[in-house]
Amino acid sequence: MKPENQAWDQLFARAAALLHPDFADRVLRAARAGVGAAPSLLSQFALGAATAAICFLTVAVFKVQSAHEADNRAIADWQQIASAADDSGFMQ
Amino acid sequence: MEPSPTIALADLVRRAQRGDEAAQREIILSYQHRVAGFVYAMTGRSDSVEDLAQQVFIKMIRALNGLQAPAQFESWLFRLARNTCIDHLRRQKLRRIFLPFAPEHEDVPEPLGAVDTEELDALRYAISQLRPQDRVLLALVQEGRSHAEIAETLKTSVAAVKARLHRAREQLRQHYQSDHEA
Repeated sequence: MKPENQAWDQLFARAAALLHPDFADRVLRAARAGVGAAPSLLSQFALGAATAAICFLTVAVFKVQSAHEADNRAIADWQQIASAADDSGFMQ
Repeated sequence: MEPSPTIALADLVRRAQRGDEAAQREIILSYQHRVAGFVYAMTGRSDSVEDLAQQVFIKMIRALNGLQAPAQFESWLFRLARNTCIDHLRRQKLRRIFLPFAPEHEDVPEPLGAVDTEELDALRYAISQLRPQDRVLLALVQEGRSHAEIAETLKTSVAAVKARLHRAREQLRQHYQSDHEA
C-alpha cells in the first residue's frame, strides 16, 4: 500500500464529516427555493459584456446627439451672421 | 431476483428526473460523501466543502432533465462536480485581482493538528501544489473510477488519462514526500 493511500482515506473521511447531518434536506430546500447555485463564470462574463455594451451604446448615443446639437448651433450662428452681413450690405 | 446496481441507479435517476423528491434525496444521500471528498481534494479547504457540494447537487437537480442516458449518471455527476470546483478556483483567482487582501485571507492555514494528522496535512499540501486538472484526475482515481470512466467524465481518451495520471502521481509523490519528510 502506498504511503499516501492512508492519507487519501483520511481526506475522504474528513470531507464526509464536514457535511451537516441534514445535508440532503438542506439541498432540497435550497433547490426548491431557487437559491444556492452560484452563477456560472460564463454567465458572469456575459453579464459583464452586456453591461459594457450598454455603457458603450449610451456614451455613443450621447456623443452623437451632442455633436449634432453643436452642429445645429453653429449653423444657426452662421446663418445669423450671414443674414446680418446681407442686411448691412457687407457682402456686396 | 434483485436488479443490478446499474439498473437500480438508472431507475432512481429516472424517478428523480420526473421530479420525485424522495429519489432526489436518495441520490444525494448516496453520493454526498463521495462528492464532498472530491470537492475537498480539489479545493484543499474545509470551509468550502459543504457550500460547493451543495452547489453541485443543486445543479444536479436543475440539470437532471437534460441527462439523456441515466446509466451515465455517475460520470455526469462528477463532471458537474469538476466544473463547479474549477469555476470556484477560477473565481478565487479573479477575486484576487480586485481584492488586495484576499490572498492573505485565503492563505491563512487551517488549524493543523487539531483534527488532521501529519499524513493528511502532507497530502493537502501536495495536492495544493498540483494543477486543478491533475487534482481532478487523482481525486477521481481515488474515488474508485476506472480509466474509462475518467476518460468519459473528462471527455478525453483513455491513453491521455493514463499518461496524465502517471505524471500527476509522480508529482504528488514528490510533493508528499518532501513535505512529509520536512
